[in-house]
Amino acid sequence: MEISTERDGGTVVATPAGRLDGSNAREFQDALDAVVQDTERALILDFEQVSYISSAGLRVLLVTAKALQGNGAELALCSLDDPIREVFGISGFDSIIPIHASRADALASVKG
Amino acid sequence: MATSMSLTVRTARDELERINAAVDSLAEQDDWPPDLVFRVRLVLEEWNLNVMDYGHDDDTHEIDIAMTCDDDAVTIEIIDGGKPFDPLHDAPAPDITSAVGERRVGGLGVHFMRELMDEVRYKRESGKNHLKLVTRKAR
Repeated sequence: MEISTERDGGTVVATPAGRLDGSNAREFQDALDAVVQDTERALILDFEQVSYISSAGLRVLLVTAKALQGNGAELALCSLDDPIREVFGISGFDSIIPIHASRADALASVKG
Repeated sequence: MATSMSLTVRTARDELERINAAVDSLAEQDDWPPDLVFRVRLVLEEWNLNVMDYGHDDDTHEIDIAMTCDDDAVTIEIIDGGKPFDPLHDAPAPDITSAVGERRVGGLGVHFMRELMDEVRYKRESGKNHLKLVTRKAR
């Protein structure tokens, strides 16, 4: 699991790559904790390069969403492939984290 | 032609890597579409990590995993000698509706199994948990 970040004003776009599962959930959490500290207004997670997520990965996203909410910041996701989108639907995570088709859509939503 | 694969892993979380490698290998031999690889990998991770974390007190026990593919479906059988756990009756109801502040993740793994598999059967026999999962290749 690797994660790269870019900043656009108060918004951070983070792009994790690989599989988000029980073997690297702690590493993913540590990486996102650092990003959350740095996020003033919104964090966009671009899932373009994520091929898999399990409940261990979802737990990390939930902890991150709670931390951002506590700081008065937003979380949004974009570019999920179909099986990942299905997991978000089945788990009801699509009702707590806004999901956008593209990075441009996600950026527009947090600026609106 | 039926293609199959079986392996025995210890009740240690780092065995997830071997389980995933077995899925990838079978998927390649049997030419699975990406969504099938995804859901087989997901149910195996969720069930086995549950068995490792809650079914056993240490990482020295064994879990037997077998996967068989025919033309239409993949059948997965998992056997472990840990605490009895019937996913159809003992799993906590997942929370899929609360707001972010109150949301919890417990129970999602079994929920995924029930939603993504076409068949989920459990029996406790000879002091072991026997789980059988079937998913059609095309959905």
